Amino acid sequence: MDPEEVEFLGEKHLVSIVPSFTSESVHLIQGDYGPFRAGLPIRVPLWVAVNLKQQKRCRIQPPEWMDVDTLELIKTDEKLSRVFTKMPSEFYMVEVKQLLGCASDDIPRADEIRTIVKDIWDIRMSKLRSSIDLLVKNHEMYAAVDNLTMMEINSMRPLLPHALDHIYRMKTFQPNVGSQSQTMSFSTHSRVSTSFQS
Amino acid sequence: MDEDTDDILNNIIDDDDDANIQMTPAELIQKMEEIWINEKFAPELLPHEQEIVDLVLSQISAMEDNVETLPSADFKKGFYQLEIDRIRFVVTSYLRQRLEKIETYVLHVLKEDEEREEAYLSEAEQQFALKYKEALEEHFDNATMFYPGLPFEDWKSNFVRPNMNSFVFLKAKSNVEGVVVDRGQGDDNEIVDIKAGSQMLISYKGVSDLIKKGDLRLI
Repeated sequence: MDPEEVEFLGEKHLVSIVPSFTSESVHLIQGDYGPFRAGLPIRVPLWVAVNLKQQKRCRIQPPEWMDVDTLELIKTDEKLSRVFTKMPSEFYMVEVKQLLGCASDDIPRADEIRTIVKDIWDIRMSKLRSSIDLLVKNHEMYAAVDNLTMMEINSMRPLLPHALDHIYRMKTFQPNVGSQSQTMSFSTHSRVSTSFQS
Repeated sequence: MDEDTDDILNNIIDDDDDANIQMTPAELIQKMEEIWINEKFAPELLPHEQEIVDLVLSQISAMEDNVETLPSADFKKGFYQLEIDRIRFVVTSYLRQRLEKIETYVLHVLKEDEEREEAYLSEAEQQFALKYKEALEEHFDNATMFYPGLPFEDWKSNFVRPNMNSFVFLKAKSNVEGVVVDRGQGDDNEIVDIKAGSQMLISYKGVSDLIKKGDLRLI
């Protein structure tokens, strides 16, 4: 899956905006938003917010957690905890990227937020790498991945499941069946990549 | 204009005796996204969801008709158009994903569908698969005729199958008990319970039925 597709999914999350215009409701297929009153905050999907912001028709209210102090706390928790802590949003990376990308003027201390979120991401990624190492070394055949966000899961997508696939295949491989099974297993091997193109 | 689309959807749903009755448009789109992601990550071809796709497409075309009636100066027009494009992307990506699987596993898919009561291929997909198979056979026959003595019938009996043991990430929509994990060492199987809302990395084989039933979804 492309990171863009994860972003696509994350763009459905609601964020608060303060519109600078007055208009009746927008009736989208996925729900009604509005009516818009200039100056009154309203919650809309992220993609609507970004679009409005690009047209300079609104101001974005950052989500509660998108704040230097809160993020510092999350970062400390993440550092101290051995397991993955629950992130304030399933798509925190997407929201940070999109909102800071288009509305850094609406979010106080945007640069600091960017750095802290990157730190949190790095801590989690290094945790993820050591968990994967453990997982493979212990020959586990399944793993709980609670609290991992979609972007994080996606970052190990092509590699980890593929590696476990190979381990499984080596475990189940029976060398004495004859040359037939060898050619078969070779052809299964070359095929596997097809299931991981996405 | 919203009432119009709602009416259209309700009419369609009323006509449809399928299990998916009484869905709001928002739930419908949600469902479409879910089957898109499932299809994307499942190694095998999943049962087709033609009803959902048709409903979504009729929503899109109803919306498009409505957008045409709006004055082009209306800034809201952009949102309607954008939403249409977003949903259309999901639908096309889903259908392409299926075509890609059908092409890769064409012989396997056709054979499975013959042996199974419930067809996984939609009518159009079945036609496509049959034509594709024909073209493939013709091409291979032509190519192998030049080299007499080749075991050129082999590919017909020993065909490409999806790797059902490949590993997938999933999220449980409801509590699931007794998922069998094959550890790949003889009888040494393990039983796992999955709580609603939890996420797992697991081999596809043990959970394929639960995904088709909708208790689990892939992520």
